[in-house]
Amino acid sequence: MDLHSNRRIVYFLVFTVVALVYLGKIFSLQVLDKTYEQKAINNALNKITIYPARSIIYDRNGKLLVYNIAIYDLLVFPGEVKELDTSEFCRVLGITREDFLHRMQQAALNAKKRQKNNAYNKSAVFYANLSTRQYTAMQENLFRFGGFYIEPKTDRLYAVKGGAHVLGYLGEANDRALKGDPYYRPGDLVGITGIENTYEEFIRGMKGIRTVWQDRTYREHGEVKDDEFNKPAVAGPDMYSSLDFDLQEFGEQLLNGKRGSIVAIEPGTGEILALVNKPDYDPNLLVGEARNNAYRALVTDPRKPLFNRAIKGTYPPGSTFKTVTALIARQEGVLKPGTMHGCYGGYHLGSLTVGCHPHGSPLDLKGAITISCNAYFCQVFRDVIDNPKYGNVKTGFSQLEKHLRSFGLGSTLGVDLPGESSGNVPSIKQLDRRHGKSWKSSTVISLSIGQGEILLTPMQMANVAAIIANRGWFYTPHLVRGIGPRRSLPEKYTTRRYTSVDSSLFKVIIDGMEGVPKPGGTAWGTDVPDIAICAKTGTAQNPHGQDHSLYIAFAPRYNPKIAIAVVVENGGYGATWAAPIANLMIEHYLRRNEPSKNPGMLERMLKGAVL
Amino acid sequence: MGSARSAGNENPRLDAPSVWLYAGLVLIGLINIYSATSDPNQGFHFSFNSLAGRQMMWIGGAVLLILTIAFANVAVFDYFAYGFYALIILLNIAVIFLGREVAGARSWFGFGGVGIQPSEFAKAATALALARFLGTYGIRFKGTRNVFICLGLFLLPMGIILGQNDTGSALVFLAFFLVLYREGLPGGLLLTALWMAILGIARIVMTSRGVPHFWTYGILAVLGAVIIWFGRKNRQLVITVSLITISSIVFSLLVGFAYTKILKSYQRDRIELTLGLIKDEQGKGYHLHQSRIAIGAGQLVGRGFLKGTQTKMGEKSFVPEGHTDYIFCTISEEWGFAGVVVFFLIYFGLLFRLVSLAERQSTTFGRVLGYSVACILFFHIAINIGMTIGMVPTIGIPLPFVSFGGSSLWAFTLLLFTFLKVDEKRR
Repeated sequence: MDLHSNRRIVYFLVFTVVALVYLGKIFSLQVLDKTYEQKAINNALNKITIYPARSIIYDRNGKLLVYNIAIYDLLVFPGEVKELDTSEFCRVLGITREDFLHRMQQAALNAKKRQKNNAYNKSAVFYANLSTRQYTAMQENLFRFGGFYIEPKTDRLYAVKGGAHVLGYLGEANDRALKGDPYYRPGDLVGITGIENTYEEFIRGMKGIRTVWQDRTYREHGEVKDDEFNKPAVAGPDMYSSLDFDLQEFGEQLLNGKRGSIVAIEPGTGEILALVNKPDYDPNLLVGEARNNAYRALVTDPRKPLFNRAIKGTYPPGSTFKTVTALIARQEGVLKPGTMHGCYGGYHLGSLTVGCHPHGSPLDLKGAITISCNAYFCQVFRDVIDNPKYGNVKTGFSQLEKHLRSFGLGSTLGVDLPGESSGNVPSIKQLDRRHGKSWKSSTVISLSIGQGEILLTPMQMANVAAIIANRGWFYTPHLVRGIGPRRSLPEKYTTRRYTSVDSSLFKVIIDGMEGVPKPGGTAWGTDVPDIAICAKTGTAQNPHGQDHSLYIAFAPRYNPKIAIAVVVENGGYGATWAAPIANLMIEHYLRRNEPSKNPGMLERMLKGAVL
Repeated sequence: MGSARSAGNENPRLDAPSVWLYAGLVLIGLINIYSATSDPNQGFHFSFNSLAGRQMMWIGGAVLLILTIAFANVAVFDYFAYGFYALIILLNIAVIFLGREVAGARSWFGFGGVGIQPSEFAKAATALALARFLGTYGIRFKGTRNVFICLGLFLLPMGIILGQNDTGSALVFLAFFLVLYREGLPGGLLLTALWMAILGIARIVMTSRGVPHFWTYGILAVLGAVIIWFGRKNRQLVITVSLITISSIVFSLLVGFAYTKILKSYQRDRIELTLGLIKDEQGKGYHLHQSRIAIGAGQLVGRGFLKGTQTKMGEKSFVPEGHTDYIFCTISEEWGFAGVVVFFLIYFGLLFRLVSLAERQSTTFGRVLGYSVACILFFHIAINIGMTIGMVPTIGIPLPFVSFGGSSLWAFTLLLFTFLKVDEKRR
């Protein structure tokens, strides 16, 4: 028909070639290359962390102790910061140019790390925990600073001024926390100490994720409506502390102007009713923007207000330890209630003399506890470790050591606070090092009256009181009585621990302790009418100065409700400070809302200062 | 749709396969315009104020246009071809002075809220005029005068549109070279064009790689000399090869000059990105990179209708213009490779069908018109899709029948259905 009709083939050919080449290219983009899918998600979706509220913390009576407020982090997409008016930005945020550069560098690094972990979002915290001023200023100006956005999270507020060492404080997650747990992100607040730290994994709740559409300027375009991309934050469960905050505050008042500790435990449960340390600090200091400065001031304060004496301070238990010596001797069968020992102004053996205060002699066990006769317990102690049954002193001593450890001494109790000290129960090795290999019972005789190598924390002392109250067993002392609506608790706090002393052997010792605050006892004049307080005073020799005033007690005698230990550093005799303070605590706890029947003693304790 | 007024055709109706393929493309366009402009947070939500709603109105207009063509007397196309051509040329000149500037180009007339782009219609007008000219009794694509008239018919609007600063729309007129090949344009010319393209690309690659100029010419000269040496007995060959070598060297010189002196820097960037000479995913190559991400994200079967993620945020999308020039990204991400294959089958099916229809025309007018439709569509498709996948430098032209826009839809509809009407009335 016409000359070039066979040229149609060329058209078919050209069309086909182009179509196939294009399809090949598209096939390689869509099917062969698997990376574009993720790149597209990285582009379009921004995963925004929703911070959960941390647990609200209540005391045992439902009193609110700790709650939350909203605070804000400033985040940045480092790659998106272009044409930023740096000086204006620094002015609004109130930072220096050097600080800006440093933070930017850090954020870029962190953002890169997050991207490696397949996080969708390429942003990182630029400035954590904005102050109110910074937040307001930033919020107004954010539109000018492309690539930055603000994310809310929560910080703590305290409804109370006390209990700082129990409640603990928050701080920004350090490198170790960040490395140890991928849950954390730089700038996150984590519990540094106190139950905030111990129960961090409960208290922090569970972060949620909100995935939003974003355009290429990282502006939000609403939430992705797909459950796969969104997870609500779960608030930390309500925490019920075992503290009786009324008692706690009372204890803090009593200990004002002194250095020391009060630990009160409910013997039947091991729940800590009060944990007081002085000096201490107001937990509200370590909140918000002031946190870092306040923390530095507290750390460098020579009075060591951050030091939790109750679990970290170790003291020779002094005469309070005689109760334990007696109990072990009873168990070893070398001490009967009627065993009499004389005291001649002390215990004399060759050149050795352990002095004693003047009192009637000889004494039986009950009397020796009440009067706190040194000579009596030196003899009892020797009877234990020189027991012919064991052949030599070291075997006898190791028997003693075994008993002591069953009282939770010489090792950490397992209190739910970080940094608990184990105190010290000397091992044979330790004594060998100290006294040479050939020591005898007389060499270590001062252990009988709680001096020498033996060291207890106030917590361990209070636990000894609880053990005697329970006649031979205890629950590991703890500060949280229930987590969440089911009030659950770790198993270790619901398991009884038995000492190696039979419960039938406690009676005489308790008889002796009941006499301590009464006329003729070492704490005569500190008792509380109509409350049977069983106690033991102690005066711990202190090589650095004035003796420490010690006291352990429980009450009432039958069906005890509170066991307590008080340490007043440099307070002198146990009866001077520790006994009145402990007995006032007991009275306050058992006779809630009633005025003290010892107003003079109360007044003296509240006003008294030992510093 | 057809009417049975003609005696020549036994089955007088518009070619059904073409109409169906056309309808399929328009529908695919509408669906993907809707998706590209939908709010990812809302379910199905339709409004005539939306872009999809407006496209539906454009489609309504296109249907009216089709009906008008279907009931028109086919003779008017032939009769008014020059007049239409003249009108459109005038409009295209006028728009340079009266039009409003969009993205640096003056190619839009604005009427209130809507605009019209006369250059879109210039393709149809040129196709008709060229068909009319070559269809004139006794005229063939032969002889200097005729050849120059043919070339002039499409180089004139091309030049004017270049004057509108709309390079993309202007380049499409090169499709008429392909049309003329069927009418007798020597194949050697197309081969020459191919050789020039290779030379040009080689020159650009060498320039950007910093290879000194004389290497280009040196290689060409040596190549020519070697061929001449072996064919030195053949006088004809020696002359031809010498001419080719010399003109190639001259062409290379010109390309080097044009590339650095005439092309704008963003145009050079686009070319170098396509050639893979520069890779800058965050900067110059950002859009290309994003476009590839959107396509790649589709994978085998796509994310599904409305589930695309890259084209939905309007101007701030990762791939902007996901409903117009980059609608292929929307299609690819939501329907995957499977969808792309179907889409190609429809599109290239239509092109094949058009070539077949063109070949069955008894008149040169019909044939030239048919090839014009096929070649213009082919150029658009090849450039547009090639651009999104990075095989063609970024050139902003729409995907026929699919991209959002009234001018483009109507102009392509006019082009296609004029030919289908002519085909219906073929003798």
